[in-house]
Amino acid sequence: MNIRFHRQKKSKQDHIGVSRRMFLMTTAMAGVTTSAMLGSATRSLAAPLDAGQDATLLRMVQDIYPHPDLLEVSHYEGIAATVTTNTEADAATAKDLRDGLARIDAQADALFGMPYTEIEDPDAREGVLRKFQHDGFFQGVRWTAYFAIYNNVDVWPLFGYQGSSVEHGGYIDRGFSDITFVPQGPTLEERMAAVKG
Amino acid sequence: MTVFEKTDDSVVVIIGSGAGGGTVANELAKKGIKSVVLEAGKRLDSSDMENDEWTMFQKISWLDKRYSAGGWHGSVNHPTLPAWIVKGYGGSTVHWAGVALRFKEFEFKTRSTYGAVEGANVEDWPVSLEEMTPWYEKAEMKMGVTGKTTGMPHLPWNNGFRVLAEGCRRTGRTDYNSGPMAINSVENDDRPACQQIGFCMQGCAIGAKWSTMVTELPRAEESGLCEIRTDAMALKIEHDASGKVTGVLYADAEGNQHLQKARVVCVAGNSIESPRLLLNSASEMFPDGLANSSGQVGKNYMCHTSTGIYAVMPEKVHMFRGTSVAGIVGDDVKHEPARGFNGGYYLEFLSLGLPFMGAFLEPGNTGWGRSFSRAMEQYDHMSGVWALGEDLAQEQNGVTLHGSEVDQHGLPVPIVAKTPHNNDHAMTAHMVESTSQIYESVGATDIYELPPYPASHNMGTNRMHADADKGVVNAYGQSHDIDNLFVSDGSQFTSSGACNPTLTIVALAIRQAEYIAQEMNAQNI
Ligand SMILES: Cc1cc2nc3c(=O)[nH]c(=O)nc-3n(C[C@H](O)[C@H](O)[C@H](O)COP(=O)(O)OP(=O)(O)OC[C@H]3O[C@@H](n4cnc5c(N)ncnc54)[C@H](O)[C@@H]3O)c2cc1C
Ligand code: SF4
Repeated sequence: MNIRFHRQKKSKQDHIGVSRRMFLMTTAMAGVTTSAMLGSATRSLAAPLDAGQDATLLRMVQDIYPHPDLLEVSHYEGIAATVTTNTEADAATAKDLRDGLARIDAQADALFGMPYTEIEDPDAREGVLRKFQHDGFFQGVRWTAYFAIYNNVDVWPLFGYQGSSVEHGGYIDRGFSDITFVPQGPTLEERMAAVKG
Repeated sequence: MTVFEKTDDSVVVIIGSGAGGGTVANELAKKGIKSVVLEAGKRLDSSDMENDEWTMFQKISWLDKRYSAGGWHGSVNHPTLPAWIVKGYGGSTVHWAGVALRFKEFEFKTRSTYGAVEGANVEDWPVSLEEMTPWYEKAEMKMGVTGKTTGMPHLPWNNGFRVLAEGCRRTGRTDYNSGPMAINSVENDDRPACQQIGFCMQGCAIGAKWSTMVTELPRAEESGLCEIRTDAMALKIEHDASGKVTGVLYADAEGNQHLQKARVVCVAGNSIESPRLLLNSASEMFPDGLANSSGQVGKNYMCHTSTGIYAVMPEKVHMFRGTSVAGIVGDDVKHEPARGFNGGYYLEFLSLGLPFMGAFLEPGNTGWGRSFSRAMEQYDHMSGVWALGEDLAQEQNGVTLHGSEVDQHGLPVPIVAKTPHNNDHAMTAHMVESTSQIYESVGATDIYELPPYPASHNMGTNRMHADADKGVVNAYGQSHDIDNLFVSDGSQFTSSGACNPTLTIVALAIRQAEYIAQEMNAQNI
């Protein structure tokens, strides 16, 4: 992704506090076998974490796809919980996640002299994570978060995406051509005339 | 449904049921010629089409093992998915978007127009636009393409295209419209008009979009002259001592192998599987693979020079509402060497749903973080294009067989290698610049340039050439080496042109069916 003319807004304070509703995530989706599309990283997740690592994982998930103005912290808690649940079956990779989270904290300590979760600047936290982005544990967390956010029908409305339309007769009577900041397209008569003769 | 004996050696065996194979089957049936279609994928119909990007990707894509190699984006971003192709009844016409453009005259004559291009293997087609025009017209009638041939109006303009069109108007462009599309703007051919459902690339749930799944294949079957065997993966084409092909060995769903005898064989498995099958059919008599005396089988792989570009507009656009490719800009389809590259390109409005935007905005391991997430939050303000242009053939770009790894049928896994030519880099820069100017003129605030998607247009790996030393097939798709072996899909293309390939594949297939019928009647094959 090359960005031109990108005007980055200042981020608002991340949402904190109690969840308004339980995060509905289809765990089935998170395990979807899209490895062909999604590249080479192998999934490698771990067994239950200690409290400190729980916090690191939650912060990590928030920093991977930060949508503080759109998503509640509870959304991210749901994702972190899914990550941990997914690892329970697989002891071999459990260690991978624990080790990975430990390396994130070690990197934060080396650069900033504090645990990752205590770094205030979100760009600095992202910088810490970038070092690990090609690792299996990181991509496992990342794709779980991807499916839970961008492939989640409950989240779509927050991004203005309406999804499936066939059951509503399509968008033909539901705003497929409703914007007003550019001119209308040609009428049926004009379109008919254009293909005659 | 008609069933032919496996020992029946009077049938034409067609491998693949997509744009090329499905069309040949129906055209042959109309001429009273019997055929058996072997389709590796399963049976599909409109009721299988769901409005969900990942669900449909899982359901219909070709996911057998493949590798990307070479210097292109695919090696990094899509290492096991070089191309995005359907495996099923209807082939990639199930999820194609419906853009139905003709080649320009100069695009059939690239060698004569561009001259010899260093590092590229540019040649002329053995056919011209003049020769192809009546076949294009037949294809447009068959497919119900909006425009002058059918008299069907182009589709109504949706939000996303209206933004692009206004930018085109403001920047002095003149060639932009919501067609030609093989999507019904009015009821036609027993299929309904488009309901602006969106999700064209997940398969049209109502059959407004042409596909061999809804037209050619069921009609061929109804004729009683065509049997379509799904879950039938062709493994090897067999031949006799004279070198004529005699039948096709295939595996059924349970992995049992069968031999279907044939009078003629048409290969239409799309540009990766077709050369793979010819290479896998190597024998003592043809040690380099069937039809490969030129050494060009599997070479010259082209997939269009392309990039996705999304602009963030000052107001909401909701680009996902309605036809996925809702408009086409053709002003840059010309050969103008002063631009610094050969050939031209189209800009086609293309909507992605939120899930695919999240996967393709920045594919690979790096697509996350603050700027990525910020871009995703602008999703409902976006309009964008898929820019696609002429991809120069290069001999080293192509399909080869893995030395040790095999698929579930025991066949060597294909490796699809591609390295861009400098022409691609120069053209891509031009595409991004013109698209940016168009959207900026309507007030775009941010512009995102995406790396190419997994290849959706695959061409050239069994190229046509008048000269048997330089190409695999002649102007009718008939192999130079073996008279009763034909290639019926996009792998015949000598050059890629700028436009989407399917109308040309269908036009060539109609023409080929006529030629096959003539040659069979004359007892030449
Ligand atoms: C998302 C998307 C959008 C597209 N939009 C457009 C568009 O708007 N306009 C356009 O012109 N083109 C478009 N295309 C491209 C178009 O779909 C293809 O160019 C066209 O379908 C290719 O036709 P084909 O006959 O070569 O192969 P296909 O249509 O892919 O058919 C090949 C068939 O052969 C089968 N097969 C392969 N190997 C074997 C074997 N060994 N044995 C048995 N069966 C086998 C496959 O399962 C498949 O069903 C699009 C493609 C994609 C991915
Ligand atoms: S937008 Fe039209 S063509 Fe596309 S899937 Fe919907 S009805 Fe079919």
